[in-house]
Amino acid sequence: MNEKIDVMIELQKHDQKESEAVPDVLDVMTLLSLPDHLRKTAVTISRLDQATADEVAEQTRRARAVESGYLNQLVIMGYLKKERRGRKAYFFIEK
Amino acid sequence: MRKIVAFHSYKGGTGKTLFSISLATTYANRGKKVCLFDLDFRAPSLHAAFKTDGTEYWLNDYLNGVCEVEKVMTELSQSRARKGELLVGLANPSTEAIREMSAKDRKWEMKALGRLLSLKTTLLNDMEFDYVILDTSPGLQYSSINAIVSADVALVVTGIDASDREGTKRMVHELYDLFEKKAGVIVNKVIADLISSEGAKRKMRKQLETIYGLPVVEMIPCFCEILRAGGTYVFTEEMPEHPFTKTMDKIATKIDRF
Repeated sequence: MNEKIDVMIELQKHDQKESEAVPDVLDVMTLLSLPDHLRKTAVTISRLDQATADEVAEQTRRARAVESGYLNQLVIMGYLKKERRGRKAYFFIEK
Repeated sequence: MRKIVAFHSYKGGTGKTLFSISLATTYANRGKKVCLFDLDFRAPSLHAAFKTDGTEYWLNDYLNGVCEVEKVMTELSQSRARKGELLVGLANPSTEAIREMSAKDRKWEMKALGRLLSLKTTLLNDMEFDYVILDTSPGLQYSSINAIVSADVALVVTGIDASDREGTKRMVHELYDLFEKKAGVIVNKVIADLISSEGAKRKMRKQLETIYGLPVVEMIPCFCEILRAGGTYVFTEEMPEHPFTKTMDKIATKIDRF
């Protein structure tokens, strides 16, 4: 019985390692799975390569504060990176 | 207004390549600056219609980050009808290249999407192309979805058989709607009897628009002359008085209004 449990734990660990190795890639399949409001922001970042919330808001015609919220959500989800340069925060896809 | 137009379909063999070539040449004959790209990396076909000598760089190279897009584009020799410019970017037809493109991972597809999206700025703004036409692969594959996302207008070419209609309907709702694309449907190879009168045509158009939830741009009957040409020459340039050429002219005007 104990042997069985050990094998199950090992298998679980192996599965975890495999899922950690898969990067959060912002490809079209991911874009399709995102909620509508985040998809628009994600496509805009893909187009601009890197941008501030201001620049994304200009493209999507939504408020800067709204875009800032969506961009940070995409950072938390692991799809985008955020970097401060002086007073501005830039969002980009790590390639 | 400058735009990127993608031809897509659920099934293969619906006429995407024919429409891509015909629309590109129609605009070029109107004096526009046009670029035509073959994004069907699994079954490249534009190279057969435009015999460009010694292609050095392919669209595969651009998406691989090997070269800039200018290197991929070949200007075609002037035809009598062409008042504008027509350039083509071809997909590599070698078996090795097809195999290589089929084995790309998600990270590569993500970078490819970025490079396709950047074409809007490079080609429409910097190089001042009036139209960029994308000939895509059928179905829901990475390369075709990437092309749809990058395009301003997506045109779905479909036939009238039930499986194509079902698949197209699903694809429209599960892909085009999600990306909020301006889109239209071209119904190709329609049996002439079904659209023989204006009334029958109107009825069929209404039915199809209800099914797809998209405007039907045109319903085109099956032309034996096109089949006979076998894609060996640019039909709309060689046959300027043919009804298909006239229909392409109408389609070009309708796309302008999208």
